Amino acid sequence: MTDLIIQILNSMNFVLVLIMVAMGLMIIFGLMNVINMAHGEFFLLGAYTVVMTNRLGLGFWPALVLAPLVVGLIGMLIEYLCIRHLYQRPLDTILATWGVSLAIKQLIIIFFGPAGLTVAPPLPAMVSVAGVEYPAYRLFIMAISLAIIAFTFYVFLRTDFGLGARAVIANRNMAATLGINTRRMYRTTFTFGAALAGLAGAVMAPIMSCDPQMGLGFFIPAFLSILVGGTGTLYGVLVGGTIVGGGDSLFSYHYSPVVAQVVIFSLAIILIRIRPQGLLGGKNHE
Amino acid sequence: MLKISDLHASYGGSLILQGIDLSIKQGGITAIMGRNGMGKTTLMKTIVGLLSPKSGRIELADESIGGLKPHKIAAKGIGYVPQGREIFSDFTVFENLKLATLRYPRKQRHIPDRIFEYFPILGKRKNQRAGSFSGGEQQMLAMARALVTNPKLLLLDEPSEGIQPSIVQEIARILLDINAKTGITIVVVEQNVDMVFDLADTCAFLEKGRIVETCPVDDLREDESMITRYMAV
Amino acid sequence: MNNTLSAIRSTTRYSRSSWIAAGLLTLFLLFPMTKNDYWVVQLTQLMVYGIFAMSLSLVWGYGGILCFGHAVYFGMGAYIYTLIVKGMVPGFTGILATSIVGLMAAIIGVALFAIVVGYFLFYGRLSGPYLGIVTLAIAVIVERIAVDWYYIGGYNGLFSIPPLSVAGYEFTDPLALFYVVLALAVIVYLLLMHVVNSPFGTILRAIRDNEPRAESFGYNSAQHKIITFAIGAAVAALSGALFAIVTEFVSPTLIGFGLSTEVLIWVALGGKEVILASFLGALLVRTLETYLSELMAYYWILFLGIFFVAAVIYFPKGVFGRLLSGRR
Repeated sequence: MTDLIIQILNSMNFVLVLIMVAMGLMIIFGLMNVINMAHGEFFLLGAYTVVMTNRLGLGFWPALVLAPLVVGLIGMLIEYLCIRHLYQRPLDTILATWGVSLAIKQLIIIFFGPAGLTVAPPLPAMVSVAGVEYPAYRLFIMAISLAIIAFTFYVFLRTDFGLGARAVIANRNMAATLGINTRRMYRTTFTFGAALAGLAGAVMAPIMSCDPQMGLGFFIPAFLSILVGGTGTLYGVLVGGTIVGGGDSLFSYHYSPVVAQVVIFSLAIILIRIRPQGLLGGKNHE
Repeated sequence: MLKISDLHASYGGSLILQGIDLSIKQGGITAIMGRNGMGKTTLMKTIVGLLSPKSGRIELADESIGGLKPHKIAAKGIGYVPQGREIFSDFTVFENLKLATLRYPRKQRHIPDRIFEYFPILGKRKNQRAGSFSGGEQQMLAMARALVTNPKLLLLDEPSEGIQPSIVQEIARILLDINAKTGITIVVVEQNVDMVFDLADTCAFLEKGRIVETCPVDDLREDESMITRYMAV
Repeated sequence: MNNTLSAIRSTTRYSRSSWIAAGLLTLFLLFPMTKNDYWVVQLTQLMVYGIFAMSLSLVWGYGGILCFGHAVYFGMGAYIYTLIVKGMVPGFTGILATSIVGLMAAIIGVALFAIVVGYFLFYGRLSGPYLGIVTLAIAVIVERIAVDWYYIGGYNGLFSIPPLSVAGYEFTDPLALFYVVLALAVIVYLLLMHVVNSPFGTILRAIRDNEPRAESFGYNSAQHKIITFAIGAAVAALSGALFAIVTEFVSPTLIGFGLSTEVLIWVALGGKEVILASFLGALLVRTLETYLSELMAYYWILFLGIFFVAAVIYFPKGVFGRLLSGRR
């Protein structure tokens, strides 16, 4: 029973962070038709921001603000330096962002070395949840992820910016002739998506081993979540993230992480064979 | 108001516009007519910036706008109602209208009351999903959306397409009313001769990517041979 | 009109490429006269990578299938060959544990695997970026399986693979192996050129350039892509098996993300739409890597990544692609 509760809490933990990563990936894809292969590396950069603040003796908490800022800026820079030139060739953006991901990973290796690094837990206390002792920091992760997910939904469904963004997703050309600067919207979105991944990396850093390959471990499930949920609505990410993240935790716990990966991936592939648009439907391409 | 000279543009790899010369006077209502595939929609898309001209000039109120990005051209004061209306069917009426105001600073993003005076039905159904509207209502929404920002020039691409005749007449009436009240210049691409007679004062015929004839609509009323010549299939 | 043009274009490409291929072949044939043993071995390995790159060129450059997991086929080919010749596959003993059987099993087994994968991917209407990432996921997973599977050597891989042996003759001499690999490279090149210049190749390019249109002409695009995928996988498996023969060891690094990344870079930099350009891309990048990775250490990959991004933006046809395609 105790095990089960811990297992459920851990799954929720993973699912919420995964949704945060996947949301950024999906918003970027929805608006710009760009699959950002460097998204995992934005997560990586967020995590290493924590490593950095720890080394500078600032501890964990400043990284919570710094990571999204720094990673968002890096995202903006990458949009400016490379993605901007490729909007006419969407398939090439996947290659370019992938080259970017290689470069970022290598930069991390150059500065921090290839080995895994651990970060001191910022909240070492244990809290009693439903009769189970559970790390307070993991509860904090859930809270902040939930808040960020809710914030993103608010931005995209309730604000003027979100209205414009959804219009660009639905009909790029019409939105442009109504006076919406689509290029600026792309840049904002890319920056926002990068910041989300950066923040996710930062909050996960204390409970993972930070190594240069950690981004891929989030990028692939994040991508599968989008595939499973469908790219049509933001809600798709919630469904996809829950299925992929939850399933992954479940199988990892009962069998092994490798079995979990194989099972989840195979299910995802079979699902898209049956429902190519994902569970909640895809986006209408113009 | 709008002056186009020697405009060339291509679409889908083939040169569609092959030297358009067209001058639209302030406050008038001009109809552009011609058979399908002659370049009417390409001309509209080029004016609003969705296609870039290969060569030639487009001037709006003596200012060159050729080759600008669509959102810049919109800001210069062109409202555009595309063929097929292209309203955002998942959005409410209000959201569709609001979209046109997003380019303004936050405080100026309101929808003027006159829009709902022109189109009372929209005022009554502000929060309804636009996708649930009939074709005619969607057309009115598309027009309202183009008018929210008070443009100098309104472009309409086949506004009567797929709409029942009584509504077509109503649309023509509303456009005449707006033109009379605000002096807005209107250019309408149209194949429906009745609508052109109801609405326009000048008519330009487009054939093979060029404007081949321009004349007052009153002349057409007396002698319809031109219509047969340029419109008959 | 357009069809005629592209036909003319592809013949020019064919002929210019052919001249350069013939010249290159002469150079390779004569190379052992330099008596430079080190480079004979190096070139043998480079050609193996070159064959691998050519297979991706077919799949990606001609088939339009962006594959981020192409090393899966290479690695599977290497493992299947190794397991067979080491007698580690139950039932495959004696005459069934020879090099030829190993090569055949690698090629056929991997081609069948590609057909199954292709069935799900292409009938699932995955295309473009989606396809790329799904293949990437396959690579990551297969690599993890290889690392975790102790029977096939786990993390350390398998060592002391017996030398290539055909009808009792053992190719222990590096020079003999050099000529074997060279001959296979030529065969693969001719085979792939035949495929891309056949009616099948024309349909394939039509699908790549405009899938809905090609389908409206009645071509089954999924089926064409699956066949292409299978041919590419078979060739990749052959190169993987050759790698096992040449280096005498296999490890999970051959099957996963890292090598998939590398081959994509070779082909992109060389020129994905020209088979020979992809071959040369592999040779160029690998050779540079040998020298520069010592010189620049970690900075080499950084440099390669940045150069790759620049190449994608500024010369999408690759370094050799434009040169060899007969157009300026």
